[in-house]
Amino acid sequence: MMLKRLDEYRYVIPKSFREGMKVEGLIYANAKLLQAIEKDQTLQQVANVATLPGLVGRSLAMPDAHQGYGFAIGGVAAADIRDGVVSAGGVGFDINCGVRLLSSPFTLNEVRPKLDALLNQMFRDIPCGTGKEGLVGLKIQQLNEVLREGAHWAVRNGYGWEADLEYIEETGRIRSADPDAVSDRAKQRGKDQLGTLGSGNHFAEVQYVAELYDAEAAKAFGLALEQVVVLIHTGSRGLGHQVCTDYLDTMQEAMKKYRISVVDRQLACVPIQSPEGQQYLKAMAAAANFAFCNRQMITHWMRQAFQRVLGSGELRLVYDVAHNIAKEETHKVDGKPHDVLVHRKGATRAFPKGRPEVPAEYAEVGQPVLIPGSMGTCSYVLVGTEKAMEETFGSSCHGAGRAKSRHAAKKEITAEKLIQDLKEKGIHVRGASKSGLTEENPHAYKDVSEVVDVVHGAGIAKKVAKLVPLGVIKG
Amino acid sequence: MENFKILEHPADVGFEAYGKTLEEAFENAATALVSLITDPKTIREREGRQIELQAGDYEQLLVRWLSEILYLYDGSRFLTGRANVEVLSRTFLKAKVYGEQCDTNRHPLRLDVKAVTYHQLAILRTPASAGRPLQVTVRVFVDI
Repeated sequence: MMLKRLDEYRYVIPKSFREGMKVEGLIYANAKLLQAIEKDQTLQQVANVATLPGLVGRSLAMPDAHQGYGFAIGGVAAADIRDGVVSAGGVGFDINCGVRLLSSPFTLNEVRPKLDALLNQMFRDIPCGTGKEGLVGLKIQQLNEVLREGAHWAVRNGYGWEADLEYIEETGRIRSADPDAVSDRAKQRGKDQLGTLGSGNHFAEVQYVAELYDAEAAKAFGLALEQVVVLIHTGSRGLGHQVCTDYLDTMQEAMKKYRISVVDRQLACVPIQSPEGQQYLKAMAAAANFAFCNRQMITHWMRQAFQRVLGSGELRLVYDVAHNIAKEETHKVDGKPHDVLVHRKGATRAFPKGRPEVPAEYAEVGQPVLIPGSMGTCSYVLVGTEKAMEETFGSSCHGAGRAKSRHAAKKEITAEKLIQDLKEKGIHVRGASKSGLTEENPHAYKDVSEVVDVVHGAGIAKKVAKLVPLGVIKG
Repeated sequence: MENFKILEHPADVGFEAYGKTLEEAFENAATALVSLITDPKTIREREGRQIELQAGDYEQLLVRWLSEILYLYDGSRFLTGRANVEVLSRTFLKAKVYGEQCDTNRHPLRLDVKAVTYHQLAILRTPASAGRPLQVTVRVFVDI
């Protein structure tokens, strides 16, 4: 392999790796994770992304990277805002798939005896699983409001608290969103899916804080040892999937007009400043708002479930981050400020202290970075760093990263055995489908602790807390 | 010979669909896609839907065709049990699909398919040879 090792955690893909690379690739990994990354097409995909017009810096892959479509999952790519391109595939089908962390007023010992009742209540109150419709059927007019207002729509309609909004990336509403840029088809797919968890790797998990690494940041985030927290992982559902499908198709056509050719059709892209590019960004923002609203509504039902079973629904929103999104940001490139569009495809924003986007309460420490692990393992809270601003356009990893196909995962274990194994580890599971559970078998993923250690070691986010699961509901 | 085969992908899932003609391969691709969502054998032919599509080439036509089948399900809960491709050229497709509204009591739901992708998409023609007719294979990966 032609990789150039920079240090323990950084490997460069030189421009000689493939024809047409305009910038280098950079992989964050240790030797073991790199082996996993080399098993599939991740490196080729990172190199393919490096061929896109107007890319600046490097085409990046986080330690959880694995093969995706066009772009690798776990990829970050920034394009010059004036003459760069935007790619619908660079955001992905699940626009603003993301993670939200809630902290509870309860300790591990207070929740443990009522855990089964709590999970049953969550499973009853939060729609999850394949083909499950939401509790709120929306008229198209209302859906347009959701697309414009995001989580603000939810709060305005009684789902959650005004105070939640400050703790969501973009305060839960990207202002450039335009519902008219979203097709009727996308709205049709989304209108009955608001407030649903979905299936696949999406989940809601009750966890407790098992370890603290950074006392100051943990205190700022309101996290203490043995405190019970809730992690919610879901996205924009069918609405976002259709927006991506629509614009991938538009971009296939429009590329001819702009004389752009790509090495993989899934990388279809258009100039950011073109009508098609601007239209996509408005639609993407609308889909992102749908996802923010989705997580906000699930939060409301989560609070209700805690209220019913434990007597208090005072779950405080710690933070909510997107890990599939494109954002216009200013970053230093070659020492000078540069306006770019950062594609984060399976990567989390990781801004340090001092950035205006970081909530006031966290101003002294930085933005919380939420890293969900695979089912039944553990998750992490990290904090953004200045190093991430210098190296990764303020980005970090997003999870464990799949290592085996869903089919291979399913063959390894039966649902009954998996539930039993988890139970022996003290983790209770409610799943809508048995095959859904086995596909998410933790052995199908890389070790999230190792992924997080690389990120921490490389300095592109710092460990704050380790969260260990108690119970999970899944689609 | 089987009409389609499900393929492995590290993150997701794909399929190959076969036919003696391109039309047949497209029809079988629709069934392969539906087989990821539910068991096609459980779908009764109670309604028909007409589909007409244009595209720049066969590959785009295939993605649009399967995206249409997916949209019928995820946008209007219509499950396609059988497809009949009536006209197929490089840039145009006309088809009728038969099936029914999804009823979770009768249709075991398997996966949420998010979208049809161009990733490793292929349309392959194996020419006829002694004793063996032309075979068309289409390969598609979907995001789940």
